[in-house]
Amino acid sequence: MTQLVATEFRKLLTTRMWLWILLISAAWTIMYTSLVIALANRHGGLVPSLSSAAGQHALFAIAAGGAGPLLAVLAVTQVAGEYRHRTAAATFLATPHRQRVVAAEVIAFLLVGVGYALACIAINLAVALPWLSAKGIEVSAFGNGNLAVLVAVVISVAVFGMTGAGLGAALHSQLATVTGMLLYLYVLEPLISHIAPLHSWTPYLPGVAADGLTQAVQSGVRLLSPWAGGLVFAAWAIAFAVAGMISTSRTDIT
Amino acid sequence: MTDVAGRIVVSGLTKRFGRVTAVQELSFTAEPGCVTGFLGPNGAGKTTTLRMLVGLVAADAGVATIGGSRYAASPAPGRVAGVVLEAAGFYPGRSGRDHLRVYCTASGYPLGRADEVLELTGLTEAGRRRVRGYSLGMRQRLALATALLGDPSVLILDEPANGLDPEGIAWLRNLLRDYAGRGRTVLFSSHTLPEVEQLAERVVIIASGRLVRAGPLAKFTAVQGGLERVFLSLTSSGDSPRPGGRPT
Repeated sequence: MTQLVATEFRKLLTTRMWLWILLISAAWTIMYTSLVIALANRHGGLVPSLSSAAGQHALFAIAAGGAGPLLAVLAVTQVAGEYRHRTAAATFLATPHRQRVVAAEVIAFLLVGVGYALACIAINLAVALPWLSAKGIEVSAFGNGNLAVLVAVVISVAVFGMTGAGLGAALHSQLATVTGMLLYLYVLEPLISHIAPLHSWTPYLPGVAADGLTQAVQSGVRLLSPWAGGLVFAAWAIAFAVAGMISTSRTDIT
Repeated sequence: MTDVAGRIVVSGLTKRFGRVTAVQELSFTAEPGCVTGFLGPNGAGKTTTLRMLVGLVAADAGVATIGGSRYAASPAPGRVAGVVLEAAGFYPGRSGRDHLRVYCTASGYPLGRADEVLELTGLTEAGRRRVRGYSLGMRQRLALATALLGDPSVLILDEPANGLDPEGIAWLRNLLRDYAGRGRTVLFSSHTLPEVEQLAERVVIIASGRLVRAGPLAKFTAVQGGLERVFLSLTSSGDSPRPGGRPT
């Protein structure tokens, strides 16, 4: 399995897509972190006061917001790209045990997610800590429950990577999967999760569960606790991975 | 031992895509030490048969083995058979050398093997360029290089001469002859007669997914009119080939 995970890393690193996605994630993190701090304590600010624990949690959860969905796009692009570029045949000739290939893809993007999350956390902290210090707000990345938020960010981005790999393996169509995933995350799910009568089950939807994990606060949306959110989100990712294994092993590579 | 190791046995293979039967109860063998041409009109089921042989397409009935076992069941499939598929795929932004190194990693070969097969296929210089800029002939060579990574005992090639210029075809002929000369098995498909006459020693002819004739090439060329006459009389009478070009 190590060999197959290494293969997925070699596929990723021999094209430039990973770098573009990382740069966009970094840019998103810089922009959103700056916006939150610049608007802090003003009317219409994005998060509660940055002197409060809740405000700091929201600030440090930012690193997951860009990197997670973007990594999922990268994972779909690579995994479903095997069908678009017809490299799936060579891949399954080298490794006829297709379910192991899908498992390796899911594990590889989990690991890539840890890397992306750490990079975005570093950027988030590099922007936030000196700026807040200059404003006279002393913040520690480790105190005030902030460390738990950073750990949740790492888990969230990693699980987004697994989700993308699983969906790509299940659906095989690059464009349709990326489009469908983004429409779901940014249009359909926000619409559904703001409808109060549905709040008994909306927290269990994949994106809302991910928000529960990092406690990315949105008014009018009911979230699970970090533990429950993390477990539910991971369960979705595993379900997508299993669907990917079943779909991939049943497909004729023509 | 070698004759068992590389023997291809196709036995009763059948594949249906929806209502269309692409391959029907097809049986033939390809022997080590011999270049076997797999001949048939467009849409006869050649590609589907070769893909079933290596487990890319699941057969509805029948079995195909290489050296006595199914390709997909081998612990080191890349050493059993090298496969060149028609219109093989490459990621356009990846260099030819990186493409090969990906599959070295997947099969557990040393990365240096990528440079060896680049040399073997005359792609050493082009290897560091992105595949996006490759000609059709260069892509064919890269597909062949990928197939040679595991130094396999069997080579299976789907329309390998497509896109090659006359020089390339001569080069391919030498490579395949040399491969068979070392006691290995070569099975290649083609729909053009001169290619088969130039490359093959044995011929398996199919039409509409069924076997119509198999035997040494000499047996066909001895007839007046040669292989062309035999081929046309066997494949166009009665059950005419389906329209629609190559099978999916």
